[in-house]
Amino acid sequence: MGAKTYLIWFLATVTGAVIAIAGFNAWADRYILTHPAGPSFQTVSGFERVLKPAWLDSIKPDAVFIGTSDIRQGFDPVLINRTYNVHAFNYGFSSVTAYETRRMVQDAAAQPQVRNIFVSANSFAGGSIAQPTTGGFDELRLSVTPDGTPTPRRPLWLFTTRYLSGGATGMHATGLYMLARLKRNETAKDRPDIFSAYSHMTKASFARDMERRAGRSYSLSDWQREQLRGALDAVCSKPIHLYLFFPPEHFAVVDRYFANDAEGLINFKLAVLADVRAHNQTCRGKASLFDFMTLDNITGEKPDSSGVYPDYIDLVHFTPRIGTVLTGIMLGTSGLASDADLTGDPFAESRIGQMIQEDKVWRSEKR
Amino acid sequence: MLFNSYPYIPFIVLSVLFYVVLEKKFPAARRPFLLLLSYFFYAWWRTDFLVLLVGSTAVNYLIGSALTARREQQRSTRAPLVLGLTFNLGLLCFFKYAAMLVGTFDLLAGSHLPIPAIFLPLAISFFTFEQISYLADAASGMAPRYTPLDYALFVAYFPHLIAGPIIRHNDLIPQFHAERDNEARASDIATGSTLFTIGLAKKTLIADNLAPYSDIVFSAAAHGAVGTSDAWLGALFFVFQVYFDFSAYSDMALGSSLLFGIRLPLNFNSPYKAASIVEFWRRWHVTLQKFIFDYLYTPMAIMLARKSIALDLGRWSGFLFSGALPLLFVFMLIGLWHGAGWNFAVFGLMHGFYITINEAWRLWRKKKKSAPSPITHAAAVALTFFAVVISDVVFRAGTLPAVLSIYTGMLGLNHAANLITFSYLAVAALVTLALLTWAAPNSMEITWRMRPALEPAANAIPVRDIGRCAWVPSRQSAVLFGLVCIAALLALSNLSPFIYFQF
Repeated sequence: MGAKTYLIWFLATVTGAVIAIAGFNAWADRYILTHPAGPSFQTVSGFERVLKPAWLDSIKPDAVFIGTSDIRQGFDPVLINRTYNVHAFNYGFSSVTAYETRRMVQDAAAQPQVRNIFVSANSFAGGSIAQPTTGGFDELRLSVTPDGTPTPRRPLWLFTTRYLSGGATGMHATGLYMLARLKRNETAKDRPDIFSAYSHMTKASFARDMERRAGRSYSLSDWQREQLRGALDAVCSKPIHLYLFFPPEHFAVVDRYFANDAEGLINFKLAVLADVRAHNQTCRGKASLFDFMTLDNITGEKPDSSGVYPDYIDLVHFTPRIGTVLTGIMLGTSGLASDADLTGDPFAESRIGQMIQEDKVWRSEKR
Repeated sequence: MLFNSYPYIPFIVLSVLFYVVLEKKFPAARRPFLLLLSYFFYAWWRTDFLVLLVGSTAVNYLIGSALTARREQQRSTRAPLVLGLTFNLGLLCFFKYAAMLVGTFDLLAGSHLPIPAIFLPLAISFFTFEQISYLADAASGMAPRYTPLDYALFVAYFPHLIAGPIIRHNDLIPQFHAERDNEARASDIATGSTLFTIGLAKKTLIADNLAPYSDIVFSAAAHGAVGTSDAWLGALFFVFQVYFDFSAYSDMALGSSLLFGIRLPLNFNSPYKAASIVEFWRRWHVTLQKFIFDYLYTPMAIMLARKSIALDLGRWSGFLFSGALPLLFVFMLIGLWHGAGWNFAVFGLMHGFYITINEAWRLWRKKKKSAPSPITHAAAVALTFFAVVISDVVFRAGTLPAVLSIYTGMLGLNHAANLITFSYLAVAALVTLALLTWAAPNSMEITWRMRPALEPAANAIPVRDIGRCAWVPSRQSAVLFGLVCIAALLALSNLSPFIYFQF
């Protein structure tokens, strides 16, 4: 066979495949973004780090939810948009680190239309100076530089990543498959078998998860605190309100954190509070802090008669219904808790300290 | 522009298409076109440093012309040569080594001189060395007069600009003028595409997937102790990462160049198959080793050998004086060439030390000439590989505490939790890497029938003939390599620069 024929076959194979893949990605991307339940796909795990920076650019949201998997699963833009008349985007990634969270906040803050950013404070407890990114690979590197500025030629990188990368192809295929399985007028909420964000914890999964998270605790290193301050700085001069919150993990696991390192958990919360207050003294773009990691009706949920916990997927992942309620509290539209913002509360430190009493209550009730 | 980036793909495809048209219709326009392409390729990274590249080219061309003219007039070439060397080494020292030198001075003298924050221009080591070789050749009458266009293209020709291979003017410039018929063109483009595909696959599917694991371990080592399996896995993954990374780069450089009908020298020939450290350096970054030996080691060793004879130093003292001393010196320079840090100098010294032992062993056993048994050969390959692993820890870890953390971890002296699980997956990965490294033919062997590179020098390790395993153009192989190319392209979003780009 001649070299010329070889070349024709080689180029035909590559060109054909590139056209097919790019065409598929373009079509699937449009399908997902225009599907009524499409925003619910933002709660799904996979190669979200590849696709979500590009979606942030094209969706142009005014409210962005940032954090680890509890954010990814707990805030469904379909519910939030409908309830609060905002244009929300879920920028949550699995196993996010403080370094990634800071850059995601910087990335979101660089979008001119963004007005509200919601960040789970526990995202800053991930990663370390020795291991700043999950798995050692910085998947955000094409969209955001290490110091949080947009990468040079960012539109080009986002375009090629979106339409030509294996990660995006996998995510698009998954999204297409999930959304195509929804029947007419069905939403993600109606199909917990497809959208795991709407599944529920059972007694069995509760027990398994308790075992799996037995050694977990919270603390904030100096490096992680630097990342938190960097995230706060990102909104300092912008017309953006940053809502930080301690997520409502089930109190059974919070009790474990107490057992493992009570001081670490309290200090973690106090450190975040101190940094947010310091930020508010000097910056135009304000920040609020909410503590949902307290013993209440949500976190103290007990299984129903069928052995299911309706508001939890597992011990740290709450359902989008809860995420929507929390959004209302933070936006101040729920009318439920006007004093929920800790930053203006002179007794915030003692409220945080009350966790110790709450834990005692939890333990006595369990007994 | 990185070879392993999406923009490079349309860049190279369109460039080749346009070049082919020029070859057929306006052959005289090929060289200006290649030069513009090369400057565009370099400026894609940072436009301002294009001024440095062009300026350095212009100054060296003028000095080279002066050297040639003086040589023709039989006048001394010393002054312009010293000027040229000072200019090039000064440029290199300023951009690459100033911060290191000031930092070291501060440390030793206890002073507080501000450490200059100078941005390292891409490829400065490569284009500086190539121009030094041109000046040295011009001074010794081995460089003909070139046109400014030819010379500028020699320096900036983009397939070798960023990370080599280091090529000599007389190997490259004549090729800019060569013409090829349709058949040769198709063969070059077919072979170049295949070689590029192999390189791209090695980079995106293998090297980039090893990087996170070695990064985790070395990053952890920089901040504390690492466990035993972490230390070994991190070191091994890095050794394989740098192997596939650099061989990928070399394949992509040679493949890209071949698309224009220009052959670059062989730079990488299965170095981990080497049965001695001397052989290792005849297979790893062949052109750097050749450059350093041609222009530095050999003249220095000859001079010292004469002194040693004059001083009547005897066999072993003579070996230490005229063999070991220059070896340690040039390998320290090779180490420093890789980066402005004392860890690189130590890395180079370690290799210099290895080679000295290797040469001493040869000297001691000079009677024995019979081929080693397969077991002896395998043991020699394993020992060489082990020596490379140990030195690469210094190369990668950067600081003394990190190096010690890895070494003590390897010896099982650290009691730290492991970050990487020594799982079946890790074992499977290592076995696969070992098979690819030691059992599979390399890219040069696969494509050698089509002569993708310049013929190796007479004393170089020849490329092995793999008989029926060699690549020949066929419909099946076209589709196969097309699919490999697609798989590699899909992984391009994991974009990470080549390790050798920092040099």
